[in-house]
Amino acid sequence: MVFSSLTFIYLFLPANFILYYMSKSRTWRNTVLVCCSMFFYAWGEPVWVLLLIFSALIDYLMALVIDRYREHPTIPKLMVALTLCANLGFLIIFKYSGFLVESVNSLTGLGLPVPQIALPIGISFYTFQIISYVIDIYRDDVPVQRNFWKFLLYVSMFHQLVAGPIVRYAHIAHEIDHRQASMEDISHGINRFMVGLSKKVIFANGCGQMATSYMAAAPQNLTALSAWFGLAMYSMQFYFDFSGYSDMAIGMGRMFGFHYYENFDYPFISQSVSEYWRRWHISLGTWFKDYLFYPLMMSGGFRKFGKWGKARFGKKNGALLPTVAALCIVWLATGLWHGANWNFVIWGLYFGFWLIVEMLFLGKMIAKLPRFFRHVYLMVIVMVGFGIFNFSDMASFGAFLGVLMGFGTGSDPTLALTVSGNIYFIIISVLFCTPAVPYLWKRIAEKSERTALVLEGLRVPANLAILLLCTALLVGQSYNPFMYFRF
Amino acid sequence: MERNEIFEKLNEIFQDVFDREDITVNEHTVAADINGWDSLMHITLMQAVEDEFDIKFSMKQIVNLQNVGDMVTIIGGKL
Repeated sequence: MVFSSLTFIYLFLPANFILYYMSKSRTWRNTVLVCCSMFFYAWGEPVWVLLLIFSALIDYLMALVIDRYREHPTIPKLMVALTLCANLGFLIIFKYSGFLVESVNSLTGLGLPVPQIALPIGISFYTFQIISYVIDIYRDDVPVQRNFWKFLLYVSMFHQLVAGPIVRYAHIAHEIDHRQASMEDISHGINRFMVGLSKKVIFANGCGQMATSYMAAAPQNLTALSAWFGLAMYSMQFYFDFSGYSDMAIGMGRMFGFHYYENFDYPFISQSVSEYWRRWHISLGTWFKDYLFYPLMMSGGFRKFGKWGKARFGKKNGALLPTVAALCIVWLATGLWHGANWNFVIWGLYFGFWLIVEMLFLGKMIAKLPRFFRHVYLMVIVMVGFGIFNFSDMASFGAFLGVLMGFGTGSDPTLALTVSGNIYFIIISVLFCTPAVPYLWKRIAEKSERTALVLEGLRVPANLAILLLCTALLVGQSYNPFMYFRF
Repeated sequence: MERNEIFEKLNEIFQDVFDREDITVNEHTVAADINGWDSLMHITLMQAVEDEFDIKFSMKQIVNLQNVGDMVTIIGGKL
């Protein structure tokens, strides 16, 4: 059941909301949320819901052991290692076994049977959530949760279970027991959900329909211009789809009194790759930073590597060696997290490469460019990145890249028609990728309080209009993919 | 070591890591105040501080550091 479906919007969410607010005590409210989340997950994964509960149980118990034997020299480390083996083991079995066997087959020429295992929905997201919990307990960053149902609530909360944001236990630990949803929270939550819904149903699906005809076309039928147009639409589709899901998750959390951290901060206005990755899928970036990059960099091996580098290549250059190595590992992992295929590996390393060269010299160079060129630089890199993301086989991507660079031989009479026929939609979509609306809103509020109040009052009819429009679109269109369901 | 001595030493480390002579840090300096203090520089900085003072930060401290004043308190506690 995806958020942008009629069943979810008209049945599941209202039922959940009513049951929740009919319950008076927090214990009952938590119970309602756990039951609804289990129902939500079992709707899509009737069998693998047991895997979710089992994974949660393992991590819950491991955390208790770590907390109990905190002073012991080896037990906490051993428990963290076991948890990682179990969680990553499940992830590898379900997500990567087919890819691994296929890669071994193609490297060695063996004909090992390729396992056909369906990917449990959201496994990449919830695995990262529960790993972060156990590591936080190990680091003594947050008090251990002794009640399994409360822990299961954190793991399974349907708002963020299938597509993020990757919520940290520490961020909501207090709210599990002490949350208070005011009327303001509920209305903010509804507004936010509507923003997300419109991003998904109106903008992501609209951009997607335009993108598909170009991204899936045979390269010989494309011109450089139409390929860039297709790629731009695909990039916007991805942004609206994923950030729309995050908006809906954050909005629903708010309706029930949870305050999740933001996951997107207008990534397309960035002016460098490193800035982009601080604005795109923030919860994943900070996860890799806190649980992989920092520990790697502070580990004994990397410190020794840095000292060796300093002795060999001088203080400045030598110190960069371990950073480069750690970034390669982090971005290989980030690529693989997104999917079990070589294009995701290349996609991750591609961004790792740009981050490394920005750190080494390019960052200082582009900082001197005018703003416009910095922006063009970033958008070209990001869009080509989306191209790598889209093409699962490298030969097709190569052909597409050739067309992008102007080596296409095709002619495309439809492009002008597509653009002119959708010109207002395209302009509005581009504007919504930037903070133009919040900026205007703020300016109006500064100028006149009365206008701001009137606008605030217009939110209710606006929300109803969005709901009606989205309903009509969802009833009428069959095109409603969910980009992040693969993860 | 006195708090102001730690600050003095930290100042040198900051200037060295960020490669800029004009940096001076105080109790309330945060990452946003210093151009280029991102996660890459943060970890390089933490390594340099560990080496200079011959101490070890815990991961919790590295991740949760709020400002330079915080850093000085932690360093002071470990010396």
